[in-house]
Amino acid sequence: MATEKKKIKLQDISLRTEEPLITVTADDLMPLPPPLDKIGTKPPYPPLSAAKRKEYECSLDGVSAVSIPRPKNKEEEDRLVERFLKGLQKLLSRDDNWLFWQPLMQSLESCVRCQTCSDACPVYVSSGKQEIYRPTFKSEILRRIINKYIKKRGKILSKLMGDDIELNWPMVARLAELAYRCSLCRRCAQRCPLGSDNGLIGRELRKLFSQEMGIAPKELHDVGTIQHLKVGASTGISSQAFQNMVEFMEDEIEEKLGRPTKIPVDKEGADILLIHNSGEFMSWIENPVAFAIIFEAAGLSWTLSSEIYGYEATNYGTWYDDVQFARIAVKQVEVARKLKVKKMVMGECGHAHKGLIVIADRILVDEMNFPRESFLPLLADLVCDGKLKLDPAKNNFPVTLHDPCNFVRLMGIVEPQRRILRKICSQFREMEPHGLENYCCGGGSGFAIMNSMNFKEWRENISSRMKLKQILETFNDVLDPGIKKYVCAPCSNCKGAIRDILARNDLWERHSIYYGGLVELVANAMVDMEKPFIDWEWH
Amino acid sequence: MGTIILLIFYGSILFFIVATSLRVVKVARTPLHLHWELYKGSSIYELTEWWAKTHNPFGEKLWSMILDILSLREFYRRNRRFWYPLFIFHVGLYLLILWHLWLFIGAVVASAETASSFGWVWGTCATALTFIGGAMILWMRVTDKELKVYYPPIHYVKWVFLLLTLLGGVYAVDLHFKSSVPALLKYVREQVTFADVEHKLHPAVAPALHVLFASVWLIYLPFGHVFQLFFRYYHHLRWDDVPNKRGGMIERRVKELLERPITWSAPHIQSGRRWREVASEFPQSPVAGSK
Repeated sequence: MATEKKKIKLQDISLRTEEPLITVTADDLMPLPPPLDKIGTKPPYPPLSAAKRKEYECSLDGVSAVSIPRPKNKEEEDRLVERFLKGLQKLLSRDDNWLFWQPLMQSLESCVRCQTCSDACPVYVSSGKQEIYRPTFKSEILRRIINKYIKKRGKILSKLMGDDIELNWPMVARLAELAYRCSLCRRCAQRCPLGSDNGLIGRELRKLFSQEMGIAPKELHDVGTIQHLKVGASTGISSQAFQNMVEFMEDEIEEKLGRPTKIPVDKEGADILLIHNSGEFMSWIENPVAFAIIFEAAGLSWTLSSEIYGYEATNYGTWYDDVQFARIAVKQVEVARKLKVKKMVMGECGHAHKGLIVIADRILVDEMNFPRESFLPLLADLVCDGKLKLDPAKNNFPVTLHDPCNFVRLMGIVEPQRRILRKICSQFREMEPHGLENYCCGGGSGFAIMNSMNFKEWRENISSRMKLKQILETFNDVLDPGIKKYVCAPCSNCKGAIRDILARNDLWERHSIYYGGLVELVANAMVDMEKPFIDWEWH
Repeated sequence: MGTIILLIFYGSILFFIVATSLRVVKVARTPLHLHWELYKGSSIYELTEWWAKTHNPFGEKLWSMILDILSLREFYRRNRRFWYPLFIFHVGLYLLILWHLWLFIGAVVASAETASSFGWVWGTCATALTFIGGAMILWMRVTDKELKVYYPPIHYVKWVFLLLTLLGGVYAVDLHFKSSVPALLKYVREQVTFADVEHKLHPAVAPALHVLFASVWLIYLPFGHVFQLFFRYYHHLRWDDVPNKRGGMIERRVKELLERPITWSAPHIQSGRRWREVASEFPQSPVAGSK
């Protein structure tokens, strides 16, 4: 029997208590379809150890994504609160925050509290509708803090505009964590009849914490953008290591194709600079291998780059910091410009698409305003215009498509991936909902790479739960382990998040549900491949 | 008392015009923001070399905006239960606004004495629809668990005041003017032509009260949600799909913005330097260390 949920009010965000405002239990969670329909008793995430609780802020929900150290004394608390307020003032200033001022103000001012967005949020629904995860919860807190402490509307008007919220350190610390309970999938924004974007409000909060207070998850900042700017890739891959990987890729191609192939690297004047998420080289080398096979088979003029920043498409700044975002975007384009290629093509990485192709469009000027596009229309042309010899019978197994939010809602790239799959997969089936209405994999906005403390468990059991439900529903008639099934996730971070939920629930071992990218399926369907490209080995 | 009401009435109209103009100017002058779009379907990025292709035609955007505003299409698709009262309310409201425009224009250009009773039917139906829709919305806002969430108390006051304004209008038209369109047009003509000042200084209670209520709305409207909805379409918030082309207007504006200083204070920011400098610093220069 479900336990009575504690009623959370907005003012609770300021409670001076070390106990979490909520703890999500197994009973709270959204039920899953078979074979995971038995309700367990194991909590979705373990409590932090007493030592960790003493050291880090976790009074929101008992989870720590950001690892914020507890202030040592009242003076330090006050100093941090003051910095938060200063950051908030900058966030609301058109001079300091010209990059996002207008959509932020629109989002703050246009909400009519109809809560149409709430049920669109996979985290809110999956967690059993925990109030703190409601898309409008953090936005409303921010509005009320602004009314009281920035606009200084006075006691009566503030009361009329909504309940009073006290600005104190517990509130600031919880808000910092809360900014990392939303994957910025912007499904709520798509639902909003007035155009209020709670996803953007979450991102702007993250930005305030990073750009003013120096608070950000270490996976995104220290070993994310900082490492990217220092080494050339957020994964820490050096140029030399990359070149070694290219040699390994050539060996792989020879094995699959039956003949040697040279992968073009640093080819000046090529038509295309293909740029991958460097996580592919670390975890799914078959993805860049498949790209190389396809591009060579199609006779394209293309190249990879071994130049620092040239072999990394990610830009974690997209999720939390405008300054880091701008620095990385400019450096990536600089590589393409120096190589004198005609255009940059982004590989299977959702946020790299949105970041470099769309968002950076308003940062890049003059010779840095360089042509950039997605691999998807190019690949669709190759597949559908007969430039590759393909046999869909080679992909004769159930395949479903996960739509990365960055491709569909955030860029309007909906059809090319479907044209490809319909052409090469005889048993392609859609998830419901899909396309613009898709659900996030649960790993968006950096979640897929954030594994510190108990955040990984939170992600796998709450944030990714809706995706897990969708996958199970899509394959419900073919759960027999004798039938191999493929979840196509054409984005590195989505792939990582889906790998983790399949592994956590033993869905490969027990039901043969596998995952991978889109180009792997194309390579697998190629007629002149000596061996099947997909090896169905879990990794 | 009459003078005060007169001042409030004409003052509120003036305030409405000035405040609305200022708001439009303020929005028009907002700095160009980064490209942060949401898509309602396939976009130009589905094409290779999209930068060389034509973007969404203006007519399509305009048509979509008209449909959204008139039919509240987004609510219809996303929140049907709430759409019913909203739609009734908005249809009534749009008719009521048109009716007031007709009153103002008709009072000046037409002969009040020969006006047909159609005007009364129009105004009464519009008021009834607005009242029914408004009352339903208020009822839902009070009773529906989801619609109550975070709804600020001031908005309940707003709905009650709106219903009172509508009742005040009914009282003025049907009891004071006895549902007579000619009498109503004659009264409006006095207001808009600045005629018969003596009469205006000693107004009857019913129309004076309604005018007072209406004035409050004129003062409130420039800050209401209607403008937010409008700006959403017209100022690069929806369908901001225009690429930054070399040598184009967007690029010129971006260049200006990149000359602004970065003011944020975290250790890795290098506060005080310009956006252009920070973003394009030598690729391998060290960035201030970890936080």
